[in-house]
Amino acid sequence: MTLALSELDEVLEEPQREAYYVYGVVAEIPDTSGLTGVQGAGVQAVRAGDLAAVVSVIDLDRPPTSRSDLLAHSAVLDSLARSGPVIPVQFGSVLADLESVDNDLLQGRDELFRSLLTELEGRTQFVMRASYREDVVLREVVAGDQRIAGLRERTRDLPEAESYADRVRLGELVSRAVEEKRAADADGLLAEVLPLTVASALRAGSGMDHVVHIALLVDNDRLSALEETLEDLAAAAHERMTIRLLGPMAPYDFVGDGDGLAG
Amino acid sequence: MTVQTSQRRSGGGYLDRPSSSGLADVIDIILDKGMVIDVYVRVSLVGIEILTIDARIVIASVDTYLRFAEATNRLDLYERGGKDLFDALGDSTERVSSGKVSGAIKGVKEAITGGGDDEEDEEERPRPAKKAPSPQRAGNG
Repeated sequence: MTLALSELDEVLEEPQREAYYVYGVVAEIPDTSGLTGVQGAGVQAVRAGDLAAVVSVIDLDRPPTSRSDLLAHSAVLDSLARSGPVIPVQFGSVLADLESVDNDLLQGRDELFRSLLTELEGRTQFVMRASYREDVVLREVVAGDQRIAGLRERTRDLPEAESYADRVRLGELVSRAVEEKRAADADGLLAEVLPLTVASALRAGSGMDHVVHIALLVDNDRLSALEETLEDLAAAAHERMTIRLLGPMAPYDFVGDGDGLAG
Repeated sequence: MTVQTSQRRSGGGYLDRPSSSGLADVIDIILDKGMVIDVYVRVSLVGIEILTIDARIVIASVDTYLRFAEATNRLDLYERGGKDLFDALGDSTERVSSGKVSGAIKGVKEAITGGGDDEEDEEERPRPAKKAPSPQRAGNG
């Protein structure tokens, strides 16, 4: 059989449309039988040396950016993390074939992966977010600064166009006052929480209600101490702020490019 | 290794411990996180990345000041019944205005990934307009 050149291209390209989506690296081969991956595919572990990569087959003609793909990525990793240490790989990482798992992913980085996995053993990530009850903190700010109270009196019944400069000034003063409170409240919370953790990584936060957003790596045997401390903090502060704790989850924030854990 | 956690405390704990993460939480958790490896293809989430950066830039802008001013002036709602400021706290815990900046981020993130924070599993579904950020300047400050 003879193929025209254009047909040959198609044939050669065909196998490349299927590739391997990578979730993470583990030491022990996990039970992946109950896991559903990106694009609804079954999840498998590919061994290379004494490590293994957790992957699933992906069809590259359908970019995995739907909500179910995002949820699958985190569900697979969080599930793996519940049964042993795992190094999460960034969302959207695809390898061409199974040889690449050995050649590109694991080869030459065994030592880094193994030491990371050892550090992660028996530890779990959580994400904590404290947020102000916005009205309460704004009231505190108005009550605590006469300039703010005065500007507010002056601007609140005027149309925006007639009080633009005062409004900008008011907002600037308020945002500074809120930021001062935020820094102090965040420090207060972290002083109680960080001693119970192995490592932490601040996350970006924004918005008027932002107090602190931070990833925590916790020894599993200090988990209940952390929960009790956070419950006490949340109870003490509940009129001013809410505290949310997400997890257990895979250690997404503690595998950054080879620098290992802070602690 | 098994991690035991009390997913939900019985008896009304103050600490918020959601037992599962919604789409906004998941994006927030995994975006830009995890080990970066050499790959054959990296699926692009460019839209989401740009949006996150925008949200960080907007913090010190005049638009932000105006939003703070607006929120501060909205407090009158509670004063005008003759109520003492702090007597009104009970009402205000419903959070009349949740942070507009973060609200806008969630709205657009959901739009990009084609779904709301509900249980439906449809893809590429257009967002209803109601969740759009009310000040249209949220993204371009």
